[in-house]
Amino acid sequence: MPSESAVTSKAVPAQEVTATTAADKPPNRFRQALPQYAAVSPFFILFAIFGAFPVLFSIWISFHSWDGIGNMTWVGLEQYNYLLSDATFWKTIGNTLIIWVLSTVPMLLLALVIANALHNATRFRTFYRIAYFIPNVTSVVAITLVFGSIFSNNFGLLNAFLQSIGLGQVEWLTQPWGIKIAIATIITWRWVGYNAIIYLAGLQAISADVYEAAKVDGASSRQTFWRITVPMMRPVILFTAVTSTIGGLQIFTESRVLFGDTNNIGGPGDAGLTIVSYLYQSAFINNQFGYGAAIGWALFVLIVLFSIINWRLIGGNDDERLTRRAARRVERRIAAQNAKRAAAQSAAAKETADVR
Amino acid sequence: MTLSRRKFLAVGTSAAAAAAAGLTGCGSRSSLGASNELSMWTWVGSVNDDLIAQAEKAIPGYDGMKLAMTRIGTNYKTKVLTALAGKSLVPDIVAINDDVATYFPNADQFHDLFELGAKDLEKDFLPWKWKLGITPENKMMAYPMDTGPTALFYRSDVFTKAGIDIDPAAVAGLAPDWDAYIALGKKLKQAVPGSAITDNIQGVYDYRMAQQPKRYMTSDGQYIGDQDHVRQSFDLAVRVVKEGLSANAQNSTDKNAVVTNGKLVAYNAAVWWAQLGPKNAAPKTKGLWRVTAAPGGAGNRGGSFLGITKYCKNPEAAFAFISWLESAKNQAQAFLDPVLFPSTPATYTDPTLTAPDPFFGGQQIVDVFAESAKKYPGAYFSPYDSIIGTPIGKELVNIEASGKDPDQAWADAQRQIERELTRAGAI
Repeated sequence: MPSESAVTSKAVPAQEVTATTAADKPPNRFRQALPQYAAVSPFFILFAIFGAFPVLFSIWISFHSWDGIGNMTWVGLEQYNYLLSDATFWKTIGNTLIIWVLSTVPMLLLALVIANALHNATRFRTFYRIAYFIPNVTSVVAITLVFGSIFSNNFGLLNAFLQSIGLGQVEWLTQPWGIKIAIATIITWRWVGYNAIIYLAGLQAISADVYEAAKVDGASSRQTFWRITVPMMRPVILFTAVTSTIGGLQIFTESRVLFGDTNNIGGPGDAGLTIVSYLYQSAFINNQFGYGAAIGWALFVLIVLFSIINWRLIGGNDDERLTRRAARRVERRIAAQNAKRAAAQSAAAKETADVR
Repeated sequence: MTLSRRKFLAVGTSAAAAAAAGLTGCGSRSSLGASNELSMWTWVGSVNDDLIAQAEKAIPGYDGMKLAMTRIGTNYKTKVLTALAGKSLVPDIVAINDDVATYFPNADQFHDLFELGAKDLEKDFLPWKWKLGITPENKMMAYPMDTGPTALFYRSDVFTKAGIDIDPAAVAGLAPDWDAYIALGKKLKQAVPGSAITDNIQGVYDYRMAQQPKRYMTSDGQYIGDQDHVRQSFDLAVRVVKEGLSANAQNSTDKNAVVTNGKLVAYNAAVWWAQLGPKNAAPKTKGLWRVTAAPGGAGNRGGSFLGITKYCKNPEAAFAFISWLESAKNQAQAFLDPVLFPSTPATYTDPTLTAPDPFFGGQQIVDVFAESAKKYPGAYFSPYDSIIGTPIGKELVNIEASGKDPDQAWADAQRQIERELTRAGAI
């Protein structure tokens, strides 16, 4: 918005200049701006073809029944109606949220710890940073295949390990929780380094003065971490939480690759079927494109919902929140003092009354 | 010459415009490839490379045209559907998997092969296979490629340990039906603990269904997926699991694992499993496997087809090509590489097929599968078979993986099927 107004305000004097030098015809404003429009047009043309059109077309498809080749049949809101009564769809929402919690919470905690360690590392710093970041640039398909062998029921490394220390075999890839834990582990492993690097940047932005002051005051390293590092990192932590939420709602590849050899990409009992993999299964395996589009829009609504929740959580800028909190604290203190005073007064009044 | 910015932009713009015209243009021509090229899409490992290389020079028996082949790695069907939906740059010839019936509602997207002279070649093919490519409106939409006759694979070393005669004829006599096969499985398990006779619950169900003369719908659109023949297959699969004879391998890694670690000692499967299972996953078991007639009779699972799209620039040349590629002689070559089982009975006596297979202890395994292919009664596949089969398969997995009550699972599957079929407008 501000840039737009800046452009027009600049364009006005330029127009006046050309108007005086050019012939008597009044200049066409659009033609004047044509080169500029042409210069910015490639983005908008490509966006219209590959961004806007598919989005709008998917709304159109979601009101139809379409197998991909034949004619599209108008069914109105029938796809959405089916969606609301589709037990599988509700299950995928549950699966997605569970996998999201199982992956995001340990991931962010671990990332914070790793970032702290990287921050304090004195030797091989670059090596460690690269080492932690590598999983993020590795193909998720390759990662998933490797983890598939680790969690494999009959032949997995994890089961071999569990058996070697005398514990039983766990059927990771057939039990509902095993599947979710396997998928969450893959996500955690892949993104922990990425978040750690972001945290590291946040850590490096914290002034050394604060730490020095803490040291002078005799704070232990644990106190420093929880009382200084974590509060100072709050904006960065919130950023990673928001991006992990958006990513977490779109989990797809992991279950697709883990169970990709069947028509049922959610694994046994649909325990690993996420919203996006259900969309993919509906549209591209069962060729119900209308239904796939409807699931896509349901996911959109869900993401909007979570964005609003995030918005409420973050709400306003930091200074405002801090002042609000400080103001509340002061209010509470004043209220407490008032109450004490009132109690004292009433006690005194009672005393005097008793005396009388 | 110095390249000014203006000139650079002008050249760039005109190049982009020319490219765009090249992509979308040429108005009338909507099929992919140059005018003397027949474009063809298949997935990897569905044709013999030498034959394709030959046709890429010139199509045998049809001068002036040559083949342009594209092997699609992943998401094959999605790409074909996208091309058909886009109505432009559609390949002339596409390979179609065993879900050929799902294309029947859109048979108008393909040429009727009867009109191109397919009728004369019918006698060369297995009758049931031939019928699978014909729509209920008697239009031939797809031409047969390979088939997937079923038989019983078994480990001779484990059978010897259990004191069972390993001669194929003897094993076939011991297990003529599924009841006898389960009894045999119990005996094997006693001799070698941990032995399984199927990789998972669906293995039994799918291969039992593959032996039936009817499946989920009649050719006039009646739903019969809730009838006895389906329920009995369902119950049989449950029984094998309850007897502890399933290896409970639900994904491809585990399916390979149970072959490699020797848990799977017998398996009623289609011919392509020889390659997919033991030869790939357990090369060390070379010489230990044998094949014999399956308990419960002949069956077929899998097999593919070729279709000529309606956008084809030269249907006669395309038909000449596919009938050449799938001739009895050339199907013998496709059996050697990439191991596709022919749909032409004349091929079954070809010396390339009847050679003893050292992996199977020098047995002539083709005889077993040829017998199965010839005896298989054939069944009608409806366009809705996959949306009917999926809920049943899912519920079977629930029974095996999480111990769901079989009656509840059956009821849930039927309810889901009814919902799906109603939505699809099939019932």
